[in-house]
Formats: sequence, structure tokens, C-alpha cells
Amino acid sequence: MAPPLFLQTIEDTGFSTWLRESESPFAFYFILLFHTFGLALLVGANMIVDLRLLGFARGIPLAPLKRLFGIMWVGFGINAVTGILLVIAYPTKSLTNIDFYVKLTLIGFAVWVMQRLKSRVFGEAALSEEAMTARGVTLARWSLFLWFGAITAGRLLAYTYKYLTFP
Amino acid sequence: MNFVQLHLLLNHFPIIGTLVGLGLLLISLVGKNGDLRRASLIIFAAMALVAIPTFFSGPGAQGAIKKLPGVSEALIERHQGAAMLALLFMEITGGLSLAALWQSQGVSRPARWNWSMSAVLLFSIVTVGLMTRVGNTGGDIRHPEIASRKNGVAEELMVSKIVHAFEPSPSKFAELMTASKWWWAFMMDLHFVGLVLLIGTVGILDLRVLGFARQIPIDPLHRLLPFAMAGFALNLLTGVLAFTGMDQYYTYDWAFWFKMLAIMLVGVNVAAFYLTGAFESVERMGPGDDAPPLAKFIAATSLFLWFAVVTLGRYIQSFSDTISVHK
Repeated sequence: MAPPLFLQTIEDTGFSTWLRESESPFAFYFILLFHTFGLALLVGANMIVDLRLLGFARGIPLAPLKRLFGIMWVGFGINAVTGILLVIAYPTKSLTNIDFYVKLTLIGFAVWVMQRLKSRVFGEAALSEEAMTARGVTLARWSLFLWFGAITAGRLLAYTYKYLTFP
Repeated sequence: MNFVQLHLLLNHFPIIGTLVGLGLLLISLVGKNGDLRRASLIIFAAMALVAIPTFFSGPGAQGAIKKLPGVSEALIERHQGAAMLALLFMEITGGLSLAALWQSQGVSRPARWNWSMSAVLLFSIVTVGLMTRVGNTGGDIRHPEIASRKNGVAEELMVSKIVHAFEPSPSKFAELMTASKWWWAFMMDLHFVGLVLLIGTVGILDLRVLGFARQIPIDPLHRLLPFAMAGFALNLLTGVLAFTGMDQYYTYDWAFWFKMLAIMLVGVNVAAFYLTGAFESVERMGPGDDAPPLAKFIAATSLFLWFAVVTLGRYIQSFSDTISVHK
């Protein structure tokens, strides 16, 4: 089955061609770089909250960790923008790869878990630390698992594609 | 500067440094001197760090001399195999040293004797022995006057032959790393997981010292640092394996070498944090407390350097073949 034609239309635009073929260090690799920074901010900050809920570094009071969700959303924003740009650069490569949809699904669930963590664990100021931990422990486990899966699926995109550009 | 100069500049440090470290450790045992013990652990950790670019500068030096008359590929292979084994033990010694410092409640206090100190002693003795062999086999490559050779291969003592049985063959090892794209993808995946462990914990600690989320006390946040160490260990392992798999790809790449430089500067910055009193000035900071300027400066430098490490790492792919010397 041939890939749908609109992928070629995207690829033929000047912007997509520039992203893909420019020798400038501020083209493709720059976007890839910021996708990595976004990853570090989003998953790094989320991991701290998860580890704390799972019982590591118990000396950290839980309530102020709410601030880390701001970092997570900054990371998510960076990665949403850079992710779209990467798809524009290589639409056929990403959209014809099933692993790409696996990655998006895992991210979708991970972000949902992240929001559940924020509202259930950090949403009510009156909760005790024990109550917060009790509510968050399962979510924290899922969060670590889903982000690990999303990173792995993302890394595999570089090795599993069928077409690099429109055939 | 070319790769031969770089290799010669760096390669004396891990060989002599580990010997000095072991000497201090043995003296500290006799005199029960905790400060001396701490110094030896810091030296082992520093040598483990310097050993990384030393190892990486080998293939470049090989490229520069392999066509010269009298240079034997077999001798270079033997040296490289010895270096791989020595690097493994050097990094384990460095990691155990950091574990021992951690268990002694901080780099800045006298080290106590515990299981990890015994392990450091054991592994550092082996490392010194293996480093001696690396130095000897390396010297043989360009100093025919000190080795008796037969058919281009230096004659060896019995103990060297036994050690040699445990050394990997560099070319076969490289083949193993690149044989399957799934193995390569798996290593790169772990490299990113390590990145998150490392930047996640160190980055949040840096931001807290700089004044972000002041309600978080520093000491418990600092206790997450073993996760950063685990991330560094994971990335060191996957990084070295990737390098041995495609050494020509990384060797002639400016981004790779600046990344190594940035990692060495991270080492200097970490030393500055723990040895200048900056750590003591922040470790008891509770909710709302503000860090002194020195600690903030070191935290900002840390963020900048890790930013540089990630940036340079991401650009390795686009800077391949940017170094033409001796290729």
C-alpha cells in the first residue's frame, strides 16, 4: 500500500524541505536538540514527583513539589512544538510508522496520569502527606512506566521507519 | 594539538593517579586517617573521569601513527584490549569511591571504613595492576628499545599472558556492538533514560539552589543524587560501548570532543561544589531559605554545563567528519 499523497504535499513545501535539507545548524538538529531539552524537563520533573511518592527522599515535603508541574508543562509545550516541526520535516517517515502512534498513545496516557497526579494528589491543600502518598503511589508507578515506554518508542523511531521520504 | 599529543597528555594521569590514590589509601589504613582516605577516594573518582577521554583519544592516536614504519597493528590491538579492561576496573573503582564518599555523609567529611571502602581497596589494587599493563603495552608501540619483539609482537611475562586472556579483542568487540541495529537502538534508548535520571535530579537541585520552589528543603532533595549517579553510570556505559562500536565516527567529530570537555568541566564544578564549602552552606537550608552567591554561581554553572553536554551530544550526528587531522 502506497503512502497517502498528502505526505508528499507536506514534504514538497519549502519549509519542510528547509527543515530536512538545510546545512544550517539551526535547522533539523536544533529542533531535535530542543525536543531533547523538553524531554529532560518534562520527564525529569515528573520523575522527581514519582520517586518521592514511591518513597524515595521522604524528607522532601510533598506540597511544594506542585511547583514542578510548571516545569513539566514548559517541557511539554517545547516538545509539542518541536514534535510538530519534526513531523513536518519527515511526514512520511513518522506517519507511516506504527511506532509513531504507539509513542503518541503512550504520551497521551502519561500526560493524563500527570494531570491525575496533579489534581488528585496536589489538588486539595488540606490532605495529609499520608493521604497524598496513598492517592499517588499507583499513579506514580504508571507514570514512570509510561514515560519509559514513550522514550523507548521515540528512540525506536530512528530505527524502525519504512520510508525516510515519500517513495 | 593532534590526537597523539592529546593521548600522551592524558594517559599519564590515570596510570600515575591511581597509584598515588592507592598509596594514600594504604597510608590512611595504617594511620587511621579519615582525611587521607577521603583524599584517596577523590583522586580515584577524578582519575575515573580523566580515564574516559584518555580512552577515547586512543583511536585518533592510532590513526596518526599506524602508517609509520615499525608500527605494528598487533601491538596497538593488544594495547587497546588492555585499555578496555583497565577502563572497566577504573570506572568501577571510581564509582565505588563515590559510593564510599556518599556513605561517609558527604565528600567534605572524613571517610569512614565500611564495605564500600573494602571494595575500593580491592578494585583499586587490580586497577593499578591493569593500568601498569596498559602503560607497558602502550609504550611498546613506539619504544622498540624497551621490548624484545618476535614477529612484531612483544614477548610477555606469564602474568601478562594470563591477564591477556581476560582482555577483549577490540575489533571483535566493535563488531559485536554494531552487529544488530536493535542492540544499538537499545543502547541509545538507555542513554536517553540516563539523561533523564541525571538532568532530572541535578537540574531540579540546581534550580532549587538558584531560588526556584523555595519551599523544598535542600537536604532531602540532595538525597536523590544517587539517581543522578545511576544515570551517569548508565550513560558512561552506553557511551563507551557506542564509542568502541564506531570509534572512527566519534573520533573525527568536534561536537564529541567538546562534549567530553564539558563533562570534564562538570567534574571540576562538582569538585568546586563539595570542596569549597558551597555544599555545607546550602545543605541545611530549609523551606524559604536563600542560597549564598557562591552556591548559586556553581548551580548556574552546572545547569549551563549540562545544557552544553546535551547540546553537543545532539550535534554529534551533524558534526561527523569535521576533524580531518590524520584521518
